[in-house]
Amino acid sequence: MRFLISLIATSLVVGGLFLFGTKLLNHSSNAEKDVLYVYNWGEYIDPELIKQFTEETGIRVVYETYDSNEAMLVKIKQKQRYDVVFPSEYTVEKMKKEGLLIPIDHSKIPNIKNIDESFLDLPFDPGNEYSLPYFFGTVGILYNPETTQGIDFSSWESLYDETLVNNVLLIDGARETIGFALNSEGYSLNSIDKYELKQAERKLESLSPNVRGIVGDEISSMMRENEAKAAVVWSGMAMDIMYENEELQYVIPEEGTNLWFDTMAIPKSAKNIDGAHQFINFLLEKDVALQNTDWVGYATPNKAAFEALDEEVKSAKEFYPDKETMATLEVYRDLGPKWTEYYNELLLEFKMSLD
Amino acid sequence: MNTLSKSFLTLMIIFLYFPILYLAFYSFNAGGTMSNFDGFTLDYYKSVIENKALMTVLMNTIAVALISSGISTVIGLFGALFLYFIRQRYVKNTLLTLNNVLIVSPDVIIGASLLILFSLFGITLGSVSVILAHVAFSVPIVVLMILPSLYQQNNNLVLAAQDLGASAWDVLTKVLIPNIKPGIFAGFLMALTYSLDDFAVTFFVTGNGFSTLSVEIYAMARRGITLEINAISTVIFVVVLIIAIIYYFVSDKNIKRGKTT
Repeated sequence: MRFLISLIATSLVVGGLFLFGTKLLNHSSNAEKDVLYVYNWGEYIDPELIKQFTEETGIRVVYETYDSNEAMLVKIKQKQRYDVVFPSEYTVEKMKKEGLLIPIDHSKIPNIKNIDESFLDLPFDPGNEYSLPYFFGTVGILYNPETTQGIDFSSWESLYDETLVNNVLLIDGARETIGFALNSEGYSLNSIDKYELKQAERKLESLSPNVRGIVGDEISSMMRENEAKAAVVWSGMAMDIMYENEELQYVIPEEGTNLWFDTMAIPKSAKNIDGAHQFINFLLEKDVALQNTDWVGYATPNKAAFEALDEEVKSAKEFYPDKETMATLEVYRDLGPKWTEYYNELLLEFKMSLD
Repeated sequence: MNTLSKSFLTLMIIFLYFPILYLAFYSFNAGGTMSNFDGFTLDYYKSVIENKALMTVLMNTIAVALISSGISTVIGLFGALFLYFIRQRYVKNTLLTLNNVLIVSPDVIIGASLLILFSLFGITLGSVSVILAHVAFSVPIVVLMILPSLYQQNNNLVLAAQDLGASAWDVLTKVLIPNIKPGIFAGFLMALTYSLDDFAVTFFVTGNGFSTLSVEIYAMARRGITLEINAISTVIFVVVLIIAIIYYFVSDKNIKRGKTT
């Protein structure tokens, strides 16, 4: 009996001490005026900046991470308190429709002036009523110039090259994969026309001899280790991979592709709305955005920060597309459940047609 | 054992453990990738220790594991005793089946339903909700671990104690519990390991800045696996391995004692 009591007591006491310890570890010394709950993607902010924000404003930040828009949505729908979230553009549209966001008061965010105008007032959120851009990027082709021997990847057609048999990786996302097929046929990647979609599907099927696999995060390691010669990826992912394998190059195909955003927004479950505005404004400050861009490595829509970037980074057109390329890019729209389902079905059919 | 079965067993063990050893091996790679081993380094372990956020999460994980397995051992023990003393066979079987259903039902379902339950009762997500959730999935495991040792112990001892005038409390604390000690300990350790590595249930019930290691690693892995993840996974693997070895010795003692008495 004594053994049982000591076992239980020890585990409870030691466990309690650990819990207490973490509370102490995270206790800030300055008087806590208030607390801000931030819910962001993993590895998507320079932790130093959170400290700096607390020092400047006295607001303590409780920081949590998620790995997909859908995961974040689950928590918001259950009315869990978060003050700032970072949804992607199609999720902004969805959350807007479901009344899960609080309008942003632009008068409280003077740093909006730092954002490049071409990234404001886009169709997924007209007038930026509910969201402001955080990072942006494209979908394009990542390839190894050494092993592909002079194939010109500036067009989606290049993926169909005979020398690429069993050497192309695709993202396991219906919008991305069906999307580039639509683009290569010259259609909008928000198409809701069955004829166009069928054609895109046929186009995809003719690519199947070249497809090595339709994968998720494995793309990173496979490309890094040169297990495939080319892959259709998000620019952010491409940057991460190129950082590790310097041989690789990324290109935005000329037929056009997707332009994506991760944005900052205030969910309905927010309590510290004032603090949320302060935090968003803080992240849009020139120096803060610059430091954050350096740390995260994605492309910033912050014009002031962009101007201050290294010349080498600034001139990388594949990550900071010029006006001409910009005109060919398209932002995803929320297609509603029916068409989303149809896109998924097409991808599934394509997957099954592979062997 | 003939050579065929021996070689099969060896193959199986290699197959199961190779990925983990591979991962652990590269956590010491100075080259920074999982492909070429460029030399030995402890940098990734150092950066894990220096990462305050990650250490907080690690401490949270240990705290949740200890507290939840402590609580569930107590609840599970009483559950097992109750099941053991039920006379009607069909009631016993029904309860036991209900207990087992909880073990085999998918974690995602348990997690999602707990999230809905917590929101319904206005329990804010955080350390309390995570501990409650872990208790919920650990109790059935503890029950299942303790029951066999109850059936193994000699029931005549209980009867003899009662004959000699022991009260129900004495029988419980002086006869039954000491007899099934290894079972209780095994249940506790099982609950501990389940709690340490649970992702699916925990994911749904974390909130308000409280998070555990598996949830955190999952969010980190989105940007590709860094060797920091290798390092921390290696640490967890070693800890779980140690618990498993302790468990082995405890249950081994149990078997030997069973033979001599």
